[in-house]
Amino acid sequence: LKGIGWLGFGLGANTAAVDVKDGKIIRIRPFHYEDKYKREHMKPWKIKARGKTFEPTMRSLIPPFSIVYKQRVYSKNRILYPLKRVDWDPAGERNTQNRGKSKYARISWDEAATLIAEELQRVQKKYGPYSVLAAADGHGEGKCIHGPHGCQTHLLDLLGGYTLQARNPDSWEGWYWGAKHVWGTDPVGQGIQNNLWLDCSENTEMMLFWGCDPETTPWGWSGQAASRLCYWFNEIGIETIYVCPDFNYGAAAHADKWIPVRPNTDSALQFAIAYTWITEDLYDKEYVATHVHGFEEFKKEVMGETDKIPKTPKWAEDICGVPARIIKALARKWHKQATSTAHCNGGSYIRSTYSHEPGRLEVCLLGMQGLGKPGRNQLKMIEWQFFALNEQMPGPRSEVIPNVAGAYHGWAFTGNESLIPKTLIPQAITTEEPFTWYGSSIAGFPKEDQFVQYKFPIDDKNSTLHMIWSDEPCWTTCWNGGNRMIEALRSPKMECIVCQQPWMENDCLFADIVLPINTKLEEEDISTDVYAGEFNLVYHEGQCIEPLGESKSDYEAVGEVAKKLGLYEEYTKGKSIEEWVKEGFDHSGIENMISYEEFREKDYYVIPTADGWENDPRGFGPFAEDPVVHPLDTPTGKLEFFSTDLAKYFPDDKERKPVPQWIPFGESHSESLLHPRAKKYPYLIVSNHPRWRVHANLDDCAWLREIPTCKVKGPDGYLYEPLWINPIDAKNLGIKYGDVVRIHNDRGWTLGGAYVTERIMPGVIYQDHGSRLDPIVAGESDRGGDNNLICPGMITSKNCAGEVTSGFLVGIEKVDVNELRAQ
Amino acid sequence: MKVFVIDVAKCNGCYGCQVSCKDEHCDNEWLPYAKTQPETGHFWMKMNEKVLGSVPKVKMSYVATPCMHCENAPCKEATKNGSVYTREDGLVIIDPEKAKGQKQLVDACPYGAIYWNEKLQLPQKCTGCAHLVDEGKLPRCVDACPTDAIRFGEEAELKELIGKAEVMKPELGLMPKVYYLNLPKNFVAGAVFDPIDDECLEGVKVTLTAVGQSKNYIATTDGFGDFWFKRLDAGTYALRLEKEGFYPFSMKSFEVAESVNVGDIALNKKLD
Ligand SMILES: Nc1nc2c(c(=O)[nH]1)N[C@H]1C(S)=C(S)[C@@H](COP(=O)(O)OP(=O)(O)OC[C@H]3O[C@@H](n4cnc5c(=O)[nH]c(N)nc54)[C@H](O)[C@@H]3O)O[C@H]1N2
Ligand SMILES: Nc1nc2c(c(=O)[nH]1)N[C@H]1C(S)=C(S)[C@@H](COP(=O)(O)OP(=O)(O)OC[C@H]3O[C@@H](n4cnc5c(=O)[nH]c(N)nc54)[C@H](O)[C@@H]3O)O[C@H]1N2
Ligand code: SF4
Ligand code: SF4
Ligand code: SF4
Ligand SMILES: [Ca+2]
Ligand SMILES: [Ca+2]
Ligand SMILES: [Mo+4]
Repeated sequence: LKGIGWLGFGLGANTAAVDVKDGKIIRIRPFHYEDKYKREHMKPWKIKARGKTFEPTMRSLIPPFSIVYKQRVYSKNRILYPLKRVDWDPAGERNTQNRGKSKYARISWDEAATLIAEELQRVQKKYGPYSVLAAADGHGEGKCIHGPHGCQTHLLDLLGGYTLQARNPDSWEGWYWGAKHVWGTDPVGQGIQNNLWLDCSENTEMMLFWGCDPETTPWGWSGQAASRLCYWFNEIGIETIYVCPDFNYGAAAHADKWIPVRPNTDSALQFAIAYTWITEDLYDKEYVATHVHGFEEFKKEVMGETDKIPKTPKWAEDICGVPARIIKALARKWHKQATSTAHCNGGSYIRSTYSHEPGRLEVCLLGMQGLGKPGRNQLKMIEWQFFALNEQMPGPRSEVIPNVAGAYHGWAFTGNESLIPKTLIPQAITTEEPFTWYGSSIAGFPKEDQFVQYKFPIDDKNSTLHMIWSDEPCWTTCWNGGNRMIEALRSPKMECIVCQQPWMENDCLFADIVLPINTKLEEEDISTDVYAGEFNLVYHEGQCIEPLGESKSDYEAVGEVAKKLGLYEEYTKGKSIEEWVKEGFDHSGIENMISYEEFREKDYYVIPTADGWENDPRGFGPFAEDPVVHPLDTPTGKLEFFSTDLAKYFPDDKERKPVPQWIPFGESHSESLLHPRAKKYPYLIVSNHPRWRVHANLDDCAWLREIPTCKVKGPDGYLYEPLWINPIDAKNLGIKYGDVVRIHNDRGWTLGGAYVTERIMPGVIYQDHGSRLDPIVAGESDRGGDNNLICPGMITSKNCAGEVTSGFLVGIEKVDVNELRAQ
Repeated sequence: MKVFVIDVAKCNGCYGCQVSCKDEHCDNEWLPYAKTQPETGHFWMKMNEKVLGSVPKVKMSYVATPCMHCENAPCKEATKNGSVYTREDGLVIIDPEKAKGQKQLVDACPYGAIYWNEKLQLPQKCTGCAHLVDEGKLPRCVDACPTDAIRFGEEAELKELIGKAEVMKPELGLMPKVYYLNLPKNFVAGAVFDPIDDECLEGVKVTLTAVGQSKNYIATTDGFGDFWFKRLDAGTYALRLEKEGFYPFSMKSFEVAESVNVGDIALNKKLD
């Protein structure tokens, strides 16, 4: 049994059975719960509504990614031995300018561990402990004992500390920086989920999949239960509407209607809906009177009393591309029918410039129609039971939400005295001057943290950065402005870069020392699956095959360095892997439900559905019923259309005012068709989470690469990352299917393979993110379709250190690959 | 007799069937039924996807297509030495020993289900995962399908579904053992609005006529002014829109070779 999901952080998912023979992986297939437990034990839930029944299956609904993972394990990109950059000489010339150009030579583990230990000691002695940056976050294999990210932080702690690359709430930016201040929902800003499958099944008439693709992003670590749930909603007649620039895969399977909207113009659409409701008297006035704080200020914004722009549907039409009459029709339906919104994490609807505006506007809209009343909530299609909270579980509750944190060795979303938001890393590497920002920015931190000012370096006694130890080397294809990062990584200030990863990809190309990491199929571990939506599981993960080459797990690799520093005992706490498995079990939440012996004999435990789950409260139901008895976690306990906290802490912030704004561009950004820059770069790009990858993971699986929407074969035979373009634009630009297209702006360019399709609205292009970096001139141009290289480098807005990775301006043109090669 | 029943309406397009087939057969040899499949280029289970219509009236169709395990299999006739045979349970197998070099089999299959393995000089195709069926297990693609869009079992047990099903290319009379429910057809869709008030028009009566067949289909526009006619055969059609208080609108004779979005249609108000 293996959890083949990519959340990381010690949380398994996508439980699969791996068949092995003669030391080789034969197949990876769904796992059948009934192998060793009876249905009576599992107590499968049943949702009955509208005369029909919805039930779990008896097998794990793994996505295609898990099925093809054999190809990732045996990939030709695997790093099999420790490597050193040939022209990096710690005793002499370091040639930092050659990172990304020079070759690597194989070295022994002994040499690699010694080099790292010596560099750590030298750098920390010379510049202080905080001069070492631990890039220790990132998704990836769901390992626990072998913790895919963050093992090095435990060693660095023993050495006196480090600077943390603080993982910003990249998945939830708009909710985190915006919605939280309206409805007060920590940890990430999305709505309360309790029992919403039941509530929606019974009461919802219309569901708005707004920036949501339930047929793609659940794959990363929830599997395909969301697909079955969507079919269920279709079956019981919930009207399903998709609002997104692309006809995404969820729409392809489920949409009754697609409303194409231009990227990052949703706030215009949202304002126009509010305008229709206010002018036509179509909102829940009684509810607003008792549940909302600051409606009058919000109304002024809608009617244009503050900025002289009445937010009429006609006004919105030109901006967002949705005809005014459709906006009005949608608004009226939303009022008339019980409507819930559905999201995975919101997509680039909440991941572009000023994403706090659409994020909080949605909450205002939900509020105007009686948020929490039957059938009127915000439903999540992934990350069920997130943060081990029942409040994050829309499905039937389980007896316990297990976790094996007791055995976990990765990073766990905790703070650190010295930290830098991940979005500000390039700036932090090159800076000589201290700089400040607001909020640790760590995903999951309480909203009050956003009002705290942070500084790097923390004081004059500490120096800036001189060494990086990264176990998530894909900043260049996942973050905001990869070309700037490449420039930073070549800075002479950066004396040593260590990367550890299973595959030679992305930022590894800029490392001085590379450590070979193995995959979870090569190690023993313990895991849980709490995202599947059918049953919660705890399982022991046996070792399937021997490690390839000289690869080791992250935990073991850091252990090698610890040995050189004489800290191995402290680092491992003297425990063997077998003892860690037991430790994980002992604090898992199931230790009183089954004996350790029986658990090991069966290898897994299925946690039964809790009795009485049907009677659990539903989403914001309690608040809707009585806001005094069940207040929200906001200063007034109400939905704050006017945020008292933002007014108090950021009275002068023009980019995030206390009340939601229409803000197409401003001091920080100029990524709007309304900005003069659009003359030069006239297209908006949508950059979604990849259909056929999990971010940077899985880009090299041949079985996926032959799928028509995964890669497009160029005239030169290279498999380019598809670039969706509408036939109208394609015709204007003389582009046909299979052509190689350049996507460019003032930050550089990358390439794509033209995929001419009606699945994208005119004026907009779409290319997934996370494609593998394949530099032409590193820092300027790329062949792989790594569009993050040219994302805006600036953060979400002045006081919000979020990322902006989609909905930005680009130019596109057909290129002749042979000519390009000649150049 | 074993059969497959594939419900296209339940298929979410995840390609789990296509890739699990590869996971089973690439680099794994299942004699006597199959030698290894090449890493890429073969699709013993092929997912065929197609985009229908135009912005914003778009739909997708996904059709999973394995070997049809025909009762009257032309591939059997094309073999020189009886290298293709039907098992007692109805699965059609290309014997990987006997079929070596018989490239003509590839063209003999009217469904394009046979692939040529250059390295092994072997025609290859879906085996129905006979090696798993022998162990009482389900074929890989069936086990991998998250929505139960692909079913596999005894013909008698699936009789009810088969009653409602179709087969591919029935005109060839090959009696496939792969049955389909809800195979994609064409749609005609559009939207109606009032250009003066700039409103979507609900409750417009839309009549679609199959020209020459005097067959009428009737729809009424919804709150967005949308109308959809689904599951149509290809052919020539005419469209008429009517609503009280508005001048009617007609589209005479247009071809529906594939699904069409006739676009946004303005209905003008009668001014009296
Ligand atoms: N354009 C655009 N950019 C985006 C987004 C977007 O919508 N559009 N979304 C953003 C979001 S929400 C996210 S979460 C981020 C994701 O950004 P990341 O979390 O940085 O992306 P991953 O690819 O998951 O990173 C995992 C890395 O770790 C490696 N890895 C996997 N397993 C292991 C292991 O066991 N050990 C080690 N050492 N390494 C391992 C992988 O190969 C990969 O390089 O991207 C963000 N960037
Ligand atoms: N297959 C796969 N699964 C994953 C991941 C992955 O990389 N691949 N990543 C995982 C992670 S870390 C996360 S955070 C989640 C992310 O889950 P999401 O945030 O939901 O995923 P996205 O793909 O970013 O966006 C979803 C949809 O938003 C729509 N969209 C894009 N831009 C706009 C816009 O401007 N306005 C509107 N209205 N819609 C827009 C697109 O239709 C897109 O399909 O997925 C997780 N699961
Ligand atoms: S589909 Fe083709 S290969 Fe399969 S049995 Fe029929 S003719 Fe033979
Ligand atoms: S039955 Fe087996 S061989 Fe045939 S398509 Fe399915 S997985 Fe492939
Ligand atoms: S596995 Fe099932 S749902 Fe997925 S593509 Fe194949 S038939 Fe469709
Ligand atoms: Ca090991
Ligand atoms: Ca609090
Ligand atoms: Mo994310």
